[in-house]
Amino acid sequence: MRLARVSLLLLLPLLVVACARREPATSDSGPANVPTPTGIQQPAATPAAPAPPIPAEPVPPVVKAPAPARPLDLNTLETQLKETKAIGLFTKITLKNQVDDLLGQFRRYYQGKAKLTLKDLRRSYDLLMMKVLTLLQDEDQRLASAIVASREAIWRLLANEKTFATLQV
Amino acid sequence: MNRVTLGLARALVVAALFARPSSAADDEALKKDLTAVIALHGLPCGKVVAVKVLAESDYNASCEDRNRYHVHLNPEGRVLVEQQK
Repeated sequence: MRLARVSLLLLLPLLVVACARREPATSDSGPANVPTPTGIQQPAATPAAPAPPIPAEPVPPVVKAPAPARPLDLNTLETQLKETKAIGLFTKITLKNQVDDLLGQFRRYYQGKAKLTLKDLRRSYDLLMMKVLTLLQDEDQRLASAIVASREAIWRLLANEKTFATLQV
Repeated sequence: MNRVTLGLARALVVAALFARPSSAADDEALKKDLTAVIALHGLPCGKVVAVKVLAESDYNASCEDRNRYHVHLNPEGRVLVEQQK
């Protein structure tokens, strides 16, 4: 992380200089007599009609792309959900009840006691995720993003009988 | 003596000013919490507009669509929502 920051600081001046010196992109369909900003004269076919000066292309600001949210492991996710202030206590208990219900469905599915299919379980999982995200997205966007990033990883843990058996649920 | 009295009076006024919004905020937070709980149970409500505290973790919630629910925590740790007539 620190190395990345140092590299960014070192590269930033180079990037700014490169952008400032950047030549405008030439397109095949564009006019052939557009002067280059370096001042090198192109051999013009009609010297009597010089092209009007074109204002320098504005340098686009260097926008830092938001870092993608890192996927969370289940324990971190549980801790962060417990600690978030975006969800009230009763809502958290209700969500916990629903997570437990879903895990119970998975358990019965793997035991061959449920009539559910994996597709049904996926639907239930998606619905529960939607509920959690709906509750979080306005007031704890960071956690909501982390959950979105973790969504498939968590599903893979649940959808595999061996990994599901290793979960402390 | 007058200064002390004045200081105490100021402190009380400040405390009262801070106490009232805090209680209102708690009330709003509880309404929001119960609104989410009722929605999570898939029951119609819209928004909880009034809450009557019956006991600890035991509430009667009135919704803006006039539905009323008894929301409570059972001994097994499950949140139950029962519609009231």
